[in-house]
Amino acid sequence: RYFFALASCRLTPPHRRLCTGDGGPAGLADAQTVFALSSGYGRCGVAVIRVSGPASMTALRSMAGLKHRLPPPRTALLRSITDPRTEEVLDRGLVLWFPGPHSFTGEDSAEFHVHGGPAVIAAVLQALGSVPGMRPAEAGEFTRRAFQAGKLGLTEVEGLGDLIHAETEAQRRQALRQMSGELGRLYQDWSRKLKRCLAHVEAFIDFSEDELIEDGVLNQVDTSVLNLQTEIERHLKDERRGERLRSGVQVVIAGATNAGKSSLLNTLCQRPAAIVSPIAGTTRDVVETALDVGGFPILLSDTAGLRDSPDLVEREGVRRARERVEQADLTLVVVDGSHLPPDDGEAAVFLQDHLSGVLPTQDQCLLVLNKVDLLTEETKQKLEADLSRVPGLPPLCFISCHTNEGLQHFLTELHNRVKTLCGDPLSGAPTLTQARHRAHLQQCVAALAQYQRYRDADLALAAEGVRLALTGLGRITGRVGAEEILDIIFKDFCIGK
Amino acid sequence: MLTKKIVPLQSFLSVVSRRAGHLAGRHYDVIVVGGGHAGTEAAAAAARVGAETLLVTQKIHTIGVLSCNPSLGGVGKGQLVKEVDALDGLCGRAGDWAGIYFSILNRRKGPAVWGPRAQLDRQRYREFIQSELLCTPRLTVLEGAVEELMVTDANPQEPGRHRVTGIRLANDSDPILASSVVLTTGTFLSGSLFMGRTTSPGGRIGDAPSSAGISNTLRDRLGLRMGRLKTGTPPRILKDSVDFSLAKFQPPDSIPSPFSFLNTHVRCKPEEQQSCYLTYTTPGVERVVRETLHLNCHVQQDTKGPRYCPSIESRVLRFPGRSHQVWLEPEGVNSDLLYPQGLTMTMPPEMQLRLIREIPPFHRAEIHTPGYGVHYDYVCPTQLSPALQVKSAQGLFLAGQINGTTGYEEAAAQGVWAGANAARSALSMPPVTLSRTESYIGVLIDDLVTRGVTEPYRMFTSRAEFRTSLRPDNADLRLTLKGFEEVGCVSSFRYQETVRVRDSLQEALTALQSLTMSPPAWRKKLPDIRMSEAKGNMLNGMEVLQYQDVSFEMLESVFPECLSPYKEFSQRLKIEVFLTFFHLSKRDIERIQREENMSLPQDIDYFSLPVSLSVEVRQILDRVRPSTLGAATRLPGVTPAAIVHLLNYVWHKGQKEKRAHKRQLHQKEDREEELSARNAS
Repeated sequence: RYFFALASCRLTPPHRRLCTGDGGPAGLADAQTVFALSSGYGRCGVAVIRVSGPASMTALRSMAGLKHRLPPPRTALLRSITDPRTEEVLDRGLVLWFPGPHSFTGEDSAEFHVHGGPAVIAAVLQALGSVPGMRPAEAGEFTRRAFQAGKLGLTEVEGLGDLIHAETEAQRRQALRQMSGELGRLYQDWSRKLKRCLAHVEAFIDFSEDELIEDGVLNQVDTSVLNLQTEIERHLKDERRGERLRSGVQVVIAGATNAGKSSLLNTLCQRPAAIVSPIAGTTRDVVETALDVGGFPILLSDTAGLRDSPDLVEREGVRRARERVEQADLTLVVVDGSHLPPDDGEAAVFLQDHLSGVLPTQDQCLLVLNKVDLLTEETKQKLEADLSRVPGLPPLCFISCHTNEGLQHFLTELHNRVKTLCGDPLSGAPTLTQARHRAHLQQCVAALAQYQRYRDADLALAAEGVRLALTGLGRITGRVGAEEILDIIFKDFCIGK
Repeated sequence: MLTKKIVPLQSFLSVVSRRAGHLAGRHYDVIVVGGGHAGTEAAAAAARVGAETLLVTQKIHTIGVLSCNPSLGGVGKGQLVKEVDALDGLCGRAGDWAGIYFSILNRRKGPAVWGPRAQLDRQRYREFIQSELLCTPRLTVLEGAVEELMVTDANPQEPGRHRVTGIRLANDSDPILASSVVLTTGTFLSGSLFMGRTTSPGGRIGDAPSSAGISNTLRDRLGLRMGRLKTGTPPRILKDSVDFSLAKFQPPDSIPSPFSFLNTHVRCKPEEQQSCYLTYTTPGVERVVRETLHLNCHVQQDTKGPRYCPSIESRVLRFPGRSHQVWLEPEGVNSDLLYPQGLTMTMPPEMQLRLIREIPPFHRAEIHTPGYGVHYDYVCPTQLSPALQVKSAQGLFLAGQINGTTGYEEAAAQGVWAGANAARSALSMPPVTLSRTESYIGVLIDDLVTRGVTEPYRMFTSRAEFRTSLRPDNADLRLTLKGFEEVGCVSSFRYQETVRVRDSLQEALTALQSLTMSPPAWRKKLPDIRMSEAKGNMLNGMEVLQYQDVSFEMLESVFPECLSPYKEFSQRLKIEVFLTFFHLSKRDIERIQREENMSLPQDIDYFSLPVSLSVEVRQILDRVRPSTLGAATRLPGVTPAAIVHLLNYVWHKGQKEKRAHKRQLHQKEDREEELSARNAS
């Protein structure tokens, strides 16, 4: 999915620029201007929003009240930041102007330093989105633009691949979270309808002269396109209709039954949010609770214990649990420490096995050994020593939810991980995602208008509009290839010539 | 136009057979096996590029035969014909010579998707192709059946890499050697014919089956992955037995538009065009299909056939209870046969007669030749390079149905490209490729070699992402210049003509832009046009021409002194200007072109490449061996991160080579200086 998103500015060959050592503004630069929240998400005093591209100056002038004078380069100015559509003051903050090529990306750039509240950030991002020629940046786009402009050294380029990987991963998780909700179903529905529209227009173009394609096909498309356009426009106007996105770092507790997952949740939120009992399979649905860990917002979910169960309800619980783990930024894998095999190497092998059963990838996870109060001090120390020597195991915490032993160490570890995750501006930042969605939906509406404009003059151009609309929506719901459209054509029409 | 005289067929045959005796042991640059649409284009293109070329075919008089439908072009396919013509291929001019019914499909849907199409006279088409081949310098035609395709053992230094050395004919112990071989075997590769419950080996009814030798070499010696596909053809009906009053007359275009950029009109006079008719199937047709199902081997097989152009059996089985279209198409000016497009069937002949008589115009019809089905082998095309060369066999090129495509136009398009590359390879010139952004041929080849096929591949305009710029009207500007300058397959006559067209179009656009007036002034000149522009904005001729109701002729009548020199381009100018303002995909095109230009070395060892790539990505890259970074990005499973690493690698390598090149240059300069110093002393 992100493959094509990335393609929008994928990697212009850096050769010319790097070879000649010419530091001028990138001649090959993208004509679009992008913006994004560049500082981390979570509680912070100042948020930095970065803009890069030819329209940076327009954005800066129209939003920082600088209509009549040029801002001095690379100098902080304290300005009121306004929404260019309504002239409403959004915040008071610092603005900076970096004319290209002397900027990080080599293009004209600007920065807005505003107060770090989600409402302010969301408002500024939306205001930026309303400036013509602006769109939210794709994952890693600033870095890529810098790369294109020859602003990065070779070693930094090596790092870029890994960066894109990390960011696409964060986006993937985030998209998964959203796509499972009501909003996701809405977008999927639009995408399905659009696909059908496109397939029918394409069928009409490629086959109607030779084939029996009912005359009504295009009229149906006209109606569908108009309806979709109205529907998406209404959705864009009525912001309350949007599903409230769950914000914060998504932390999921997972593991076998009776390992003490619900106890851990209750211990962490200091209230009996989840029912605990010695009966295996007590938790069947996902129990969610919002927490503040050292100032960072997290959304903690307790899930059903993973086991094969004949019980239908429990099976559904296990499915949901697995879905949650897929979407998690961080997974706490809880293991009953008193049930570990006693022999030397075996504990490590057991844990490795267990982990690969719970997690699809093990990069974002903490291993929590619970019920250590049931172990003798000697066994515990031996275990700790053994496991610390095993490479490839995730960080390990020994705790007891019963006696609160080891809890402090666990909390410190959790705090550090959440802090790192929040440093990544993409994780759990719904405002950014909303801005991205809005941009893609607006693009979609504009493209549908193109269909109507060219419908009678040039059907190929009209079809291009539907295709473009689908690409826009595809940035949210997943890419649609030519083959998929052909599949619909051959399912709906009998093509015989 | 078409000034070339058709040489009588008889003398053509004699010339060829006189040559045939002396060929054994000779060495050719290129040998083309097969004389269908792919083979004839490949042989002609190879010879144009400058290679000594030999075309081997089972029967000389079947060269250029239209095995199935007597028509050329259509939506998507017409674009391919235009592109083949722009590369100086044969089929466009042959279509203009042999066409007896011309129409441009999609006339009302925008110039990008216009589909030039013609019904052909089978006899004339064959004559044209045969006489063209005869007049082609450096091309020899030989009648014979190829017994064996000769390849070297794999090079021990490069496991799995073979080289083609030539062919051996049946009953002929001496091989004919060649640097390149182009295989265009069509449906003959392990082909079997199906009619009712009988099957027999062969690729076309009335022709001998080809030997299993080629198939064995491809499968066993070269280890190529092969698959099986099926196709079919309808019965031919005696024209006299058809009641045309029960079918709907379909008029041709009143003025035929030629396929070829070199022709201003076609051979057939407008008023002499033949007629086509349209009729529909009845419930009786469905009944006959169901009743004869147990007698129909072809339908029962699970070999993949196309979802388009399916047999009447599969149409009524997949969409029961509907009536289906049947087109009644002429087979030629003097032919007493009729081609029922849409009635491909493989049931026993007596049942075929029963079926067609269920259709009103055919209620007393007689069948001349029954329809039948064909199963044949194809080579999974992901094993080819974008030059259509088999990756594991140096010098072996494939084109047409052997690559899993269907259709004359698809075959011809691959033929030109494979032939040109086979010649270039034989003459030690680097391969040339076409990008998706510049041609339908590029889309076709890219789809084949990067994605492969699961059913016979046919061109549709919806496969081309950049459809609005890959138009039939501008194929010459897209391909002829490149074909001459980079490929060498275009004659200088055609090149000069295209340069003239390009320059005139440019001048005309400049002239249009120079005509600047205020909207009221324009309104005075063109009173019938509604112009909404505000008073202050000046408008130039190009902007005015963009109005839907404004034609170039209208502007020309207002400014005759300025615009009349460009009258012959009026339609092209209108299209060009109308779409110039539609810049939508231009940036995407540029981006893709930049990526396409970054080639990935073919001999790269992805498993030992010192960059961080996951094992999965390495496996995918190793299997597909994309030839450019652009092709790599389209592979499912190759991550953006992997692309960055690849890009970095390619760039790094390019730098190194550049440095090495510079060093060499310096050394050369040093030597020369030394030399001149010595000479001076």
